[in-house]
Amino acid sequence: MNMSDTPGSASTVARAVINKYPDIESKPLDGNKVELVVPREKIREVVAMLDAEISDALPESMFGVDLTENKYELIYIFWSHEGKMLIQLRVHLESETPEIESVCDIFPGLEWHERETHEMFGINFKNHPDLRPLLLPDELVGKFPMRKSFETDRSRMDETGLAAPKPRPKPGGESS
Amino acid sequence: MSPDILDEASEIWFGPQHVSAHGWATKLTLVGDYIVECDPNAGYFHRSAEKCLEFRNFRQGSMILERICMMEAFLAEYPYIAAVEKIVDLEVPERAKVMRTIMLEFNRIHSLQFWWGQFAGELGLFAMLLWPWVDREYTLDAFETLTGSRHTVSYETPGGVKYDFTPKFLTKMEIALSRVKERMPVFEDMLSGSPTFRLRTEGVGHYTLKKALKWGLSGPNVKACGYPMDLRKDDPDPNLAYDMIDWEVPTIHNEDHPGECDAFDRLLQRFKEIETSLDIIDKLLPLLPEGPIVDPKARAKANRLPEGESYGRVEGTRGVTTVWLKTMEKAQTPWRAKIRGPCFASYYSLKHIVPGARFADFPAIFGSLDPYPGWWDR
Repeated sequence: MNMSDTPGSASTVARAVINKYPDIESKPLDGNKVELVVPREKIREVVAMLDAEISDALPESMFGVDLTENKYELIYIFWSHEGKMLIQLRVHLESETPEIESVCDIFPGLEWHERETHEMFGINFKNHPDLRPLLLPDELVGKFPMRKSFETDRSRMDETGLAAPKPRPKPGGESS
Repeated sequence: MSPDILDEASEIWFGPQHVSAHGWATKLTLVGDYIVECDPNAGYFHRSAEKCLEFRNFRQGSMILERICMMEAFLAEYPYIAAVEKIVDLEVPERAKVMRTIMLEFNRIHSLQFWWGQFAGELGLFAMLLWPWVDREYTLDAFETLTGSRHTVSYETPGGVKYDFTPKFLTKMEIALSRVKERMPVFEDMLSGSPTFRLRTEGVGHYTLKKALKWGLSGPNVKACGYPMDLRKDDPDPNLAYDMIDWEVPTIHNEDHPGECDAFDRLLQRFKEIETSLDIIDKLLPLLPEGPIVDPKARAKANRLPEGESYGRVEGTRGVTTVWLKTMEKAQTPWRAKIRGPCFASYYSLKHIVPGARFADFPAIFGSLDPYPGWWDR
């Protein structure tokens, strides 16, 4: 089924966005789905435009991806039942203290997603009304556990307060 | 609101010890018995499922998901399987597609049976709490016969399903389903026919469709506004069998308030969901083809995945349930797996729905949204 030219299809919306902001790239995904690669500064304009273009946009998900070496990606996913289309926005961030404008005043449903991304990845959302930790206990605040640099092996044993495992006897070692 | 009203306000924690608050806590600010502010708190169930998924291979991952929401284990594990099947090219046999779809719908009925009881219990109707849960035992018996486990079923696998339908299972499923059909009118009488129950739910927890979509609500919570948003129809999965049959998306059109819904509408909507699921199972069972139930090369193919990204989605009992998966070249485990639970949005939206309601209506509001803590805490 070729949906590329029907009004209300994902690629029509993508073309409208690109006409207004030429530095945005688009990439078709399977079916009536499209991805837009948005520069960090443009995120508020693009999300506001999607809100205006798509009357029934559902903010389905928003999350971070750690690509190591201080590179992060943010993915925003919007779904529309009327057009049966999915728009995925991708933002590249590269910094030791990544930062982006919050969009939760346009889509309140993204407020908690941004809050979660903030505590898990350490990405700061400017003008967010409430960046208290959402899921993490106090002792993990500021540790950003979803980053790849967060160790989950035995090396952090002493933080847990549990007794260290007894060292194994060496093979062929002295017997007691 | 003038500030001097807030001088008399008192703060009350609803949960985590409250019997209706099963694993969550909400801070309510009350003036008299009216709620002026609601601050839902998450994190009591957080078990870092997304981080755990980064250390499990592609056949193990779905088992983490079914532990997030055991009430809808078949539905919860499916988006992960769908995401894996989109990255690696697996041929799912026709028989497995139909069997999966039947089990998803059977599981939806189970989850809604659980919800009836829970909702009635939250409103203090304890007879109604136990009646659907007795019927639920028959459903769980059928699950146990098929998979060996009542809740953590781990039935679907990349490339098909793990266990074939046996005559014993089919008999048990028929018993469970006929029990549901037989008792539906009784429950409808007990809940929607009861004047007390109607008084407690009608006009309570009111919101419009436009706002619901902005908050990210989905599933029965928006279908109750008369809006047929349903992924089973909108974005049919190629490895499920929903397009093989004719069926209608259930919605509620209330003429008193079109495009809006209250707790009572959401209750009626969930009754309709059960009827639709029964209808889908009835239509699919005769179409069950013979043949294998899993791609014979699934084990080898799902061992290491190529680089890619995919998005698996399913219409869960509570709304849109998705998993976004990113893999690196020759990956044995996902680089990133993001779970979108439907209740993440419904718990958040309490913040907007609840203010203005009376304290006694609070259980009716959150109960009608069908929240499950696992979905927002993960």
